[in-house]
Amino acid sequence: MLKGVPILPRGGGTPHSLKLMKESPEKYRNYMFLVPGMFFLLLFTYLPIMWSTWLSFNRWNLLSPQPKWCGVENFLKLWNHDVFWLVMKNSFFFVTVSIFPTMFLALVFAILIDERVKGRVYYIYSLFYPTLIPMAAAAMLWVYIYSPNLGVLNIVLSKFGLPKLGWLGSSQTSIWALIIMTFWKNLGFFMLIYLAGLQNVNRELYEAAYIDGAGWWRRHLAITFPLVGPTSLFVLIVAIILTFRVFDQIHLMTEGGPGNSSNVIVYYIYENGFKFFDWGIASALTTILVVILLFLTLLIFGLFGKRITYTAD
Amino acid sequence: MEEKKYETVLKIFILQFAAIAVILPFVWLLSTALKSPGEVFTPTLKLIPDTFMWSNFLEIMDRAPFWLYMLNTIIVCVGILLIQLLLVIPAAYAFARLDFPGKDVIFLLFVIQIMLPLESIIIPNYLITKKLGLLNTRTGLILPFVASGFGTFMLRQTFKQVPNALEDAALIDGAGHLRFIWHVLIPLSRPTIVTFSMISIATHWNDYFWPLIITDMDRVRTLTIGLGMFVQQESGSDWTLLMAATLFVCAPIIAFFLATQKTFIKSFLTSGIKG
Repeated sequence: MLKGVPILPRGGGTPHSLKLMKESPEKYRNYMFLVPGMFFLLLFTYLPIMWSTWLSFNRWNLLSPQPKWCGVENFLKLWNHDVFWLVMKNSFFFVTVSIFPTMFLALVFAILIDERVKGRVYYIYSLFYPTLIPMAAAAMLWVYIYSPNLGVLNIVLSKFGLPKLGWLGSSQTSIWALIIMTFWKNLGFFMLIYLAGLQNVNRELYEAAYIDGAGWWRRHLAITFPLVGPTSLFVLIVAIILTFRVFDQIHLMTEGGPGNSSNVIVYYIYENGFKFFDWGIASALTTILVVILLFLTLLIFGLFGKRITYTAD
Repeated sequence: MEEKKYETVLKIFILQFAAIAVILPFVWLLSTALKSPGEVFTPTLKLIPDTFMWSNFLEIMDRAPFWLYMLNTIIVCVGILLIQLLLVIPAAYAFARLDFPGKDVIFLLFVIQIMLPLESIIIPNYLITKKLGLLNTRTGLILPFVASGFGTFMLRQTFKQVPNALEDAALIDGAGHLRFIWHVLIPLSRPTIVTFSMISIATHWNDYFWPLIITDMDRVRTLTIGLGMFVQQESGSDWTLLMAATLFVCAPIIAFFLATQKTFIKSFLTSGIKG
């Protein structure tokens, strides 16, 4: 095992004569605490990953009803398929375009709310409530808001004499419509996490900067933004997980269309598995997604890992 | 530190603007859910319906078993949370305060799981659940979510902050692992446990993808998937009923959070979610 390689900081550190852990030789009994959790972790996370990795090298679809080894055929098929590249483009577009503006505005609103004494709870809840609404319900609500003739958005647009938009029904706008709705849904959640992070910032720093004549924007740019770094890292990770697994709203609002213009990776996996019944291709896509997610994890922890683990302890 | 007058006004204006913009869709939902079908088919924006059609809610109950969906959702959410706590607390305890070979590697397995949500490995999970004969069962809706890397991580951070002196005191008083967890760690970590529980309930109340693929009968369906099926069945014909059903799906979770808002916000702001 990787003994002695401190992947994550160890607890305590100082030797401790009375500690329960010193009860060796029953040291191995400590595993008992992990067994139940490990069992389900292996059964529903790591076993599935191994299985789908194996399946991604098998042909298994309606024409070949038993899994049959086929090497990298599934990956080659995807590589040569335009829709796959469109889906990848859409996924990364969705992730980048929705994460950074949401994070930035969430932080700004957290700061503004943190500075208010009156009406705090009102502001928190009015921004936070969309997080609580099930995505399926939010999706239905927004299908209605976006509806071409009866939808409130197009009615407002035409009141101002502007042309109506196709929203979900047009390949130009469908992904934007989904991004706007997802922004509305996630903003309050990130805001709340930032608000928790702001509670750790030393208020005296602001006083000092104020006395030195720094304005509001300058104070936060120089103090708040760097000091909430660890929180931003946490928010970034949560945001990546949330947006890479986007499915519900796509299934209910656009079904990836029109013309795959809003198809993203998890929906594409679903389509291949449960609509085209091509389990081999769906497994290959799962492998690709897992590799992307693991790569992003390594990247994030490699770049900022020390900061998050040490400040969190 | 004094705020200039115009600064205060500007800040409140921005906050109010954002708050209202975010609330409006929900107001629109409320208003449509209570309208009569005729009022929806006019291109005018009317916020308050002429007559409040409370019967819309009775109507949706006739068309789909929404109370059954709600019961199933409650069973699934509570089931997930209880088993999660049973698994997560001992695991977090072991990672925070015990030592054993391979600790770092095993902890890494739990942390990596945070990045690999069920949705990303849906295909093999479906195949495994099918092999276990759990399709169309509430057990099948519960079990895949019970090992929570996120919860383990959160609680481990909190358990680490409990001073060693308390552990010594408990040990001198003759407490074992379990007593120490039950009488010292859990009470001291209450805010984190409350926060985790609420996040867990909100997350699983909202699950859609998993119930979509493993259920195909009303008997075990949850609210979100029931709503999805209701939409297909009504094929978008009557927006008042669709919005009434949508409201019915959101209402319990929003009511739950409004009832517990003080605990929730306080716990959230003081618990381990600091990055």
